[in-house]
Amino acid sequence: MLRLSIRLQLAHRRRTVLSVAALLLGVATVVVMSAVAQGAERRVIERIRAMGTDLLVIQAAPAPVVAGRARQRTTVTTLRPQDADIIASGSALARVAAPAVVRSTVARSGGRNSPTTLLGTTSDGLRIQGITAQAGRVFDAAEERELRRVAVLGATVARNLFGDASPVGETVLIGRIPLEVIGVMRRRGTDVGGSDLDNTVALPLTTAMRRVLNVPFIDALFVQARSVRDLDQLEREARDLLAQRHRSRSGLPMEFVVRNQAVLLRTERGATAALRGLTLGAGALSLVVGAVGIVAVMLLSVRERVGEIALRRAVGARLTDIRLQFVLESTLLAGAGGAAGVLAGLATAGLTALLGPWDLVPPWTAALVGLGCSVAMGLVVGVIPAVRAARLDPAVGLRRG
Amino acid sequence: MPDVIAVEHLAKSYRKGAIITEVLKDVSFTVHAGEFVAIMGASGSGKSTLLNLLGFLDRPDRGTYRFEGADLTGADDATLSTVRNQRIGFVFQQFHLLERTSALDNVMLPLLYAEADVADGAARARRALALVGLEPRADHEPGELSGGEQQRVAIARALINDPVLILADEPTGSLDAKSGAGVLELLRSLADSGRAIILVTHDRVVAERADRILVIADGRIASGGPVSTKP
Repeated sequence: MLRLSIRLQLAHRRRTVLSVAALLLGVATVVVMSAVAQGAERRVIERIRAMGTDLLVIQAAPAPVVAGRARQRTTVTTLRPQDADIIASGSALARVAAPAVVRSTVARSGGRNSPTTLLGTTSDGLRIQGITAQAGRVFDAAEERELRRVAVLGATVARNLFGDASPVGETVLIGRIPLEVIGVMRRRGTDVGGSDLDNTVALPLTTAMRRVLNVPFIDALFVQARSVRDLDQLEREARDLLAQRHRSRSGLPMEFVVRNQAVLLRTERGATAALRGLTLGAGALSLVVGAVGIVAVMLLSVRERVGEIALRRAVGARLTDIRLQFVLESTLLAGAGGAAGVLAGLATAGLTALLGPWDLVPPWTAALVGLGCSVAMGLVVGVIPAVRAARLDPAVGLRRG
Repeated sequence: MPDVIAVEHLAKSYRKGAIITEVLKDVSFTVHAGEFVAIMGASGSGKSTLLNLLGFLDRPDRGTYRFEGADLTGADDATLSTVRNQRIGFVFQQFHLLERTSALDNVMLPLLYAEADVADGAARARRALALVGLEPRADHEPGELSGGEQQRVAIARALINDPVLILADEPTGSLDAKSGAGVLELLRSLADSGRAIILVTHDRVVAERADRILVIADGRIASGGPVSTKP
C-alpha cells in the first residue's frame, strides 16, 4: 500500500511539491533559526562560564552626592585588600576571595605601544578568573609578597608588542615601571559585553597598587562560592560584612555593586529562551500553514480520485483500509516535506557557518523535532481527507470515475 | 448446481431533497454457479443499482440477500469487504484501471486487501493475465494498451482471487465490436468453468450470449423470472 501511495504521489509531482513547499520552508526556517539561537546561547554561556558561574564581582558604588554637592570624581576608594580576607573568613559559603585593581593603561616595549587593561590581583585572583599560562608561567604568592616587577601578558598585548616573537623574558613598561614578562596567558576570548579578555596585562596586586598605581584601595573583589547554589546567599552575606566595615561619614552603610554571575547566566538564558520561544512560534505557525496546504491538496486528491476509491472498495478495501491509505499518504507527504525542510535547513545552516562569521550550532534537536512534528501533523490532518474518502459512495464513484 | 445468489423482495430507493425515487420495488431471483445471466432494462430502470446491491457496494432498503447460502443482508463492512475481495470480481464499462501503474500491479490490487499475505501474488497475477491472453503485456501501463486489452486486464484483476461470481457492468460498452466479442467470449468461458456471471447491458445482442436474460421494468423483474436450473 505504501509503494502504491508513493507512486500515486509521484504521479502528481508538481502538486505534491506545492503541497509540501510551505512545510519545507517552515521546517527549514526553524532549523536555521535554531542553529542561530543555539549558537548565540552557546556563545553567551561560554563567555559567562569562562568567567566562572560561581563568582561574585563586588565593586563599591560611587556616591553621587557628598556633603550636599554633586561628586565630580568617579574613583571610589572604599574597598581595601583586607576586605577579601574579611569575606573569605567571615562567610562559610566563600571558597576564596581575591582583591583586584583594574585600570586602562598603555603597555610599551621597544617603541611599540598597546592600549590595554591592567589587572592587578593575587594568584587566587588569576585562578578565579581562569587565567593560566600558555607560554612561561603566572606569578605566585611569593612574587606578590615581594612586590616583584613581573607581568603576564594577554595574547593580544603580546602580539601587539612583540609580533610573533616570544615575549617571555622581555621587558614591558607600564607607565614608567619596567616589568619582566614571565608568561603569556592562554586565550580567553571576549566577555559578555564583547570586551577582549586577551587584551590584559596581569601583575601581582601589590606591585600594581604600590609600584604602578600608588593607591591604597582596590577596584573590585572577586569572591568564589563553594557551590553555585550558595551564590545568592553568599551575596547577601558579603554585602552585610562589607556594610558593617564600611560606613559613610553620615554613618550610613556604603553601597556596593555586586555582579552575580549566576544571575547573569539566568538573565542571558532568559534572553535566549525568548529567542527559542520565537523559533518555536515560527515553527508552530509553519506547521499550521503546512497542515493547511496538505489538507487542501489531500481533499483535492480525494475529489479527483473518487473512481479509484470506489474501485478499491469494489475489490475489497474496508472503510478502515481507505482511511488508512489517506492518513498514510498525508503522513508520507508531511514526512517528505519535513525531511526536505530539515535537509534544506541543515544545508543552509552549514553553508552560513562555512561562509559567514556566524557561530552556529548544528540544530539536531530542532531537526528531529521538526521532522517528528511534520510526521505527527501529517498523521493528524490526514484524518480529514481520510474520513471524507471513506464517506464516498462507491456506487457513485464507479459511475463518475 | 448450488445457488450463488438468492435475492428475495429486494427494494431500493434514493432520496434527493424531498423527492424519493423508488428504483427497485420488489426483485427476487436466484443465480447458480456456472450460470451466465444478463440483466437488461431501459435507462434508469435500476440495472446498475441492482448490480451494486449484488456486489455489496450498496445496501437494500428491504428484502434479503443470501450469498452462497449465507444471509448477508445486515452484515458489517468488514465481512462484506472480505466477500467482495475473495468471492466477487467486478468488471466495469470504464475499466477502472489505475493510471501509470503496470497491468501486473493493477491485477494485483485486490491482493492488497486480502486478509492473509499473498506470497506468490505476482505469479498469480501473471497467471490471471495469461488466462486473458495478456501475460506478455504485464509491464505495460493502461495508456499503452488498447481498450479491449484494458478490459482484459480488468477481467484478470477480477479473477485474481478466483471468485465464484463476476459482476460485469456494460463490459463491452466502450469497446469496438471485435474487442467486445472477445470479452464476451472470455466471460462465457469463465461461466463454463463454473463461475456465476451477471452482466448488465442495454444491448440485446450482447445479452443473447447469456444463458438467461432478466429484464427489469418498473422496479421489478419483468421477464426471465426466478429459475433454479440452467436452461
